[in-house]
Amino acid sequence: MGLKSRIAGFAAAGPVPVFVVAGAGMRAMVQDVQLDPHVRIVDTPRAAALLLIAGSTNHADVQALARLHDILPHPRATVTWRTHDPFVALGGAGAATAVEEDDPVPTLRAVFRDILTGGRASEPAILPDVDAVEWRGIGPYGQGGSGMTGGTPYGRPMAELGPDRDGLRLDILPVSLGPFFPRLPSGLVLTAKLSGDVMTEVAVTTPGVLPSRPGSASPFIRALSGPVAIAELELARACDHLRWLSDALMAQGLPALGRRALRLAHEVRPGDGDRVRAFGARLSRSGLYRWSLPRAGLVEAGRFSGLGLGPIARAAGVAEDVRLEDEGYRALGFEIVVMRRGDPVGWWQVRIEEAARSLDLAARAAGRKTTLVGRVESPRGRLEPGDSPTNRALALVPELLSGLEWGDALTTLIGLDLDLDEAASVMDSGELRATA
Amino acid sequence: MIALGPLAVAFAVFVAAIAAVLILWWGANPGRGRAPAVSERTPWTGGREPQVHAWNRYHARYYPMALVFLAFDMEMVFMYPWAVVFRSEGLIAMVEMGMFITILLLGVLYAWRERALEWV
Repeated sequence: MGLKSRIAGFAAAGPVPVFVVAGAGMRAMVQDVQLDPHVRIVDTPRAAALLLIAGSTNHADVQALARLHDILPHPRATVTWRTHDPFVALGGAGAATAVEEDDPVPTLRAVFRDILTGGRASEPAILPDVDAVEWRGIGPYGQGGSGMTGGTPYGRPMAELGPDRDGLRLDILPVSLGPFFPRLPSGLVLTAKLSGDVMTEVAVTTPGVLPSRPGSASPFIRALSGPVAIAELELARACDHLRWLSDALMAQGLPALGRRALRLAHEVRPGDGDRVRAFGARLSRSGLYRWSLPRAGLVEAGRFSGLGLGPIARAAGVAEDVRLEDEGYRALGFEIVVMRRGDPVGWWQVRIEEAARSLDLAARAAGRKTTLVGRVESPRGRLEPGDSPTNRALALVPELLSGLEWGDALTTLIGLDLDLDEAASVMDSGELRATA
Repeated sequence: MIALGPLAVAFAVFVAAIAAVLILWWGANPGRGRAPAVSERTPWTGGREPQVHAWNRYHARYYPMALVFLAFDMEMVFMYPWAVVFRSEGLIAMVEMGMFITILLLGVLYAWRERALEWV
């Protein structure tokens, strides 16, 4: 065995750097991949060797998917997991490996080893390697013109001037995040203008037509059409909150705590409320709330009133919860968690306490079922046929994010816990409202 | 020759270090010899094409940090007279400087909490 293949073998034994696109209905399964020490999910495609496309993505995003593929450094490969995306038909990456099993990790490791040891060629680019516009200024040698060094670099104009928060006139950079920005739901595109790192003129769009999403398995969707065991609903709510917490901790750059929250989501059983509270106390002691989470983005209680936005509204002091209307919950002595703190710290604390109380409630519920039909309190808020809390939260995004610094804005957006799968599940025509 | 011995060793270490860096750089870059494609040169923000060039003038808001630096830098001047009397004063000087540094450290933590150390 030569030195080169020996070194490649050593490299292949390490964690596989993967950039993941979590398509329809695959959010939780993709999250669980992070528990495997043989895989490292990275936040930028430039740090990845493999592109994992899990579940269907929107057909309109196929060009963005191709661009994502081409930006991965060589040697690279694509693995599709429970999807037959039109992306594969684009030609360049026809050799994508398909996985249908529950666990994609063995395949990811095998493909990683193959591309490192030369058993499989690196995938070529899908898009043509041609600049949209040649970079050329107005002078005879391509020099001069407008812009920093003249000309219009690769057809892209320079940023426009605008007022910044210090009273100066500086460049305002328009950016669009998505549809495959890590930590945001696939398909969601956030556009904003950046003045330094302050976001202004924020807008968010969601895919017009979503691919079919297998959301019917969720007990919250089933509770819209008939009675469901309260114990099952509350256990699902606690797991959902803990899964969100895991994502939010990872986004804060705390992967070890994030994996611990994810393990907790797998392990908790009815009556385990104190385990969740102990984890919450640990987070509190770590100084995360004081040091890492934004103190900006405070929302008045009145702004959330009547919107049925669940934990984020209750954190701001709005005592709204569909469970209060349900006879089954009232008989169990259900009490909602309300705080007077309308910022992301409050959202975190309310979700953790709600997860703990849901587990306690699940232990008391015995065989009791919901009685209310046609509306249910999902982990994100009031869910009804044709209307979801994600839709209503999306409408608030421009207002919540405008004026925040980049990092605070992303933390706030992640704090909203947008779930396009849940939103699509209650839409009759499979269409999700595109929101300004 | 004896005088040149340590110099020769240092030179050899220098050459070996440069060679090691070059070999690692060459080995760690499987795409060597290939110009980056257009998509690899384009800033990536989630899949969309950027609308404007990434060259961007923004206000480097360094002045609070500069003020904080000046304040703490000037306080460090007090360590010079302290160093002169440290041997004669002994442990009491050590304790006093410890208290002084602790108070300064609290000031740095406060500035950090107030986000005075953020640049943009």
